[in-house]
Amino acid sequence: MTHLLRSQRLKLIGAGLIGLALVLFLVPGAGDISAGFLNGAFGGRNFFNLYATLGRYAILLGMALAVVISFRAGLLNIGGEGQLVLGGLVAALVGAYLPAPPFVVAVAALLAAMVVGAGWAALAGFLERGTGVPLLIGSLLLNYPASFVASYAVSHPFRDVASGATQTFRIMQEAGLPRFNGTILDYGVFLIGAAALAYIVLEDATVFGYRSRLRGYSAGFARASGFPIRRLYYRTLMLSGAAAGMTGFIAVFGSSQRYVDGMLTTPLYAWTGIAAVLLAAVRPRLVPVTAFFFAVLATGSIGMERTAGIPREFGQVIQALIVLTLAGFAGKLTAIAGGRR
Amino acid sequence: MLVPKTDSNQGAVCSLRSVSKSFGSLKALSDVSFDIRRGEFLALIGENGAGKSTAVSVLFGLLEPDTGHVEVEGTPRRFVSARDAIDAGFGMVHQHFKLYPELTVIENVLVGNERGGPLARIPFRAAESRLRDIIDSYDFRLDLNVRVAELSVGEKQRVEILKLLFREASVIFLDEPTSVLTPQECHSLFAMLRRLQKEGASVVLISHKLDEVVSNAERILVMRRGEVVAERAVAETDRSELARLMVGAQIDTPTKVNVATDNIALSVRGLTVAGPSDKPRVNAVSFDVAEGEIFGIAGVSGNGQKALVDALIGLEPSSGGTVLFYGEDITRKRVAERRAAGVGYMSEDRMSVGLAAQGTIAENAVAGREQTAAFSRSGWLRKRAMIQNAQELVEKFDIRTPSAQQLVGKLSGGNQQKVVVAREVSARPRLLLVENPCWGVDVGAMANIHGQLIDLAKTGCAIVLVSSDLEELFALSDRVGVIYDGAIRRIFPRAELDTFAIGAAMAGDGQFSKDYA
Repeated sequence: MTHLLRSQRLKLIGAGLIGLALVLFLVPGAGDISAGFLNGAFGGRNFFNLYATLGRYAILLGMALAVVISFRAGLLNIGGEGQLVLGGLVAALVGAYLPAPPFVVAVAALLAAMVVGAGWAALAGFLERGTGVPLLIGSLLLNYPASFVASYAVSHPFRDVASGATQTFRIMQEAGLPRFNGTILDYGVFLIGAAALAYIVLEDATVFGYRSRLRGYSAGFARASGFPIRRLYYRTLMLSGAAAGMTGFIAVFGSSQRYVDGMLTTPLYAWTGIAAVLLAAVRPRLVPVTAFFFAVLATGSIGMERTAGIPREFGQVIQALIVLTLAGFAGKLTAIAGGRR
Repeated sequence: MLVPKTDSNQGAVCSLRSVSKSFGSLKALSDVSFDIRRGEFLALIGENGAGKSTAVSVLFGLLEPDTGHVEVEGTPRRFVSARDAIDAGFGMVHQHFKLYPELTVIENVLVGNERGGPLARIPFRAAESRLRDIIDSYDFRLDLNVRVAELSVGEKQRVEILKLLFREASVIFLDEPTSVLTPQECHSLFAMLRRLQKEGASVVLISHKLDEVVSNAERILVMRRGEVVAERAVAETDRSELARLMVGAQIDTPTKVNVATDNIALSVRGLTVAGPSDKPRVNAVSFDVAEGEIFGIAGVSGNGQKALVDALIGLEPSSGGTVLFYGEDITRKRVAERRAAGVGYMSEDRMSVGLAAQGTIAENAVAGREQTAAFSRSGWLRKRAMIQNAQELVEKFDIRTPSAQQLVGKLSGGNQQKVVVAREVSARPRLLLVENPCWGVDVGAMANIHGQLIDLAKTGCAIVLVSSDLEELFALSDRVGVIYDGAIRRIFPRAELDTFAIGAAMAGDGQFSKDYA
């Protein structure tokens, strides 16, 4: 099955690339489109767009990391969005209100964001183990209260009224993530990259990674082998939630410097993260590559819109098609869900 | 309702002609040709991975051959799907039944027979009278309106056969049909198959069990490594020749000698496991197993043996009673604690409990011991040690694999089970719980696995062996307990083992007499 999946995946990607190449070279005016796409993803004055792509990549990779941590263990945590939003909100509040030296503020905000993300994920886990709500449903539904709580927080109690927008106050400026000289890109991409690398090593080389991976292959096997099922379940889920929370911190302490209502939900980061993990067939090593692909697709289609007048939603349509095709080919989700308990 | 008996009884109803089929580098079938003749009882035997299922899948249109073709009544046909095969009169009783437990018998029979649009009425009334005729005529004793979930395994199998009769199948394939039946049920199954055959149907039995093959089939095809290596009329062969042909070598069947001591290893007292309703799944079971003893548990599957083993290994909480392991109360201990104390477990569900199919041999071979000093150091895996361990086991347990890093899911059934055996035996257990260790395993691997269990008992390990194969229980057990309806009804010492007495106990005491069978 995996074998089939892989060959189908290769065919799919191959067919997509060939199709894309045909469109770009044969259709009149396609030169503009491809130039627009490439420029949108990698070019711009002083490579502005490349930095934008990398900035988006940091967030997407973070969310894909959160997804792969849980999916790899057979836990269908699709509540990354709620964990991301709450992490971002809490990071912004710590950043704006904690009276402490800048470094302490940054570290405290990071930790707070991770704890909140982990807690929100653990809540979905408790719903499954304690009350029997499947994790898939529980984690999905917990996205909504998270978004609404965040919207309320930035509309009322913590709103920067003078700014006119529904957003928090700016975080302490010196506590924000440093940027690469003369660019809009912050060091967040390093932080996420390091986290992804750490997970890849962890998953491959530790007892925890071994158990979580084999649990993902078969939950029944994990139980019968005497793995510490409960601890493994919560630990994996909380690690996943912490990765989402950390991503929220990076989005807030990086480019935006505050939490703006909808900033983490409108771009569909969490969902794109799931798509990246599915495209990587839930293999940790491939996730950084597929996440980059989706980052390029998003910024490239913005460039395409500017130069060729093709709506940027086109990029999202392509992304949706990829996900649908993958889901159709492999029933990957059911395969994962099959190993749930 | 069946195809009438014709003069050309020797004519082929369907044939494979020079069929080859590869999966990647694996050659599953190479240049296979054979006929299935009208009205014959054919047996297709061979080790796991010999190509039996591939051959049948090609006949059924589930797989497309790389070269060669299928002929029906002498004309080349190209089946695109199983629907074509069904329309051509082929029917299959799968080893794992394809029934909807929530639907009634009649609904299950009619699934796939709906004609007309989504709003068309399903002709239940008409079907019902026809089905009643079939049921009466074959003495199936089935209630059409009962939910399939409530049927016994034997009854479910009869529903599968009823489906085929309703569709007027003229070629009936049965894949390992007796693995879940009592001896009495097997007996009536074969009586019924012979009757179908007499009425003109062709019966194709795919089986590992040489006994039933020799006593029922007329013609036997032996497959090995994707080829048909022999064809025998049943009169001109015997079990040992067939076994030799299947594995391509003489097999020495290991024999069990009594090595049990007086030292009690496992003592189960009044063990009870609650069920979904008021009725417990395991009901006050008590027995002892001595050091070095193999204690067999016979029973029709679904009578509580699964829950009993689950409770012994700690996967299922018990609601009453105690389990003593060398005097230590382990009733409430977790799986990991029991394993650490020296309890091993080989699940009958090899693909999802016994093994993680997507993991490598090296990964699977250390499960349960991943945190011991041999395989990890302060949380970090000792990967080299894991691989070396797997290489040693591959060597010692004769696991046929290109490497220790091979994914377990890519091994054949027998070799997968050898990985499980290797893991459990190499952990040096003092008590091993074993469920149906030879399900879907070929004769060669079976001898290997039985030999390992016997050797393990010699080292003083106590073994609880649950099996639906009486031959296996008789070959290995020092004593056999019969479980029925959650309770152990009788315990037979080795000297008193008798197929029909055990069969009667399996069916709930005296419900079947020897005369019936």
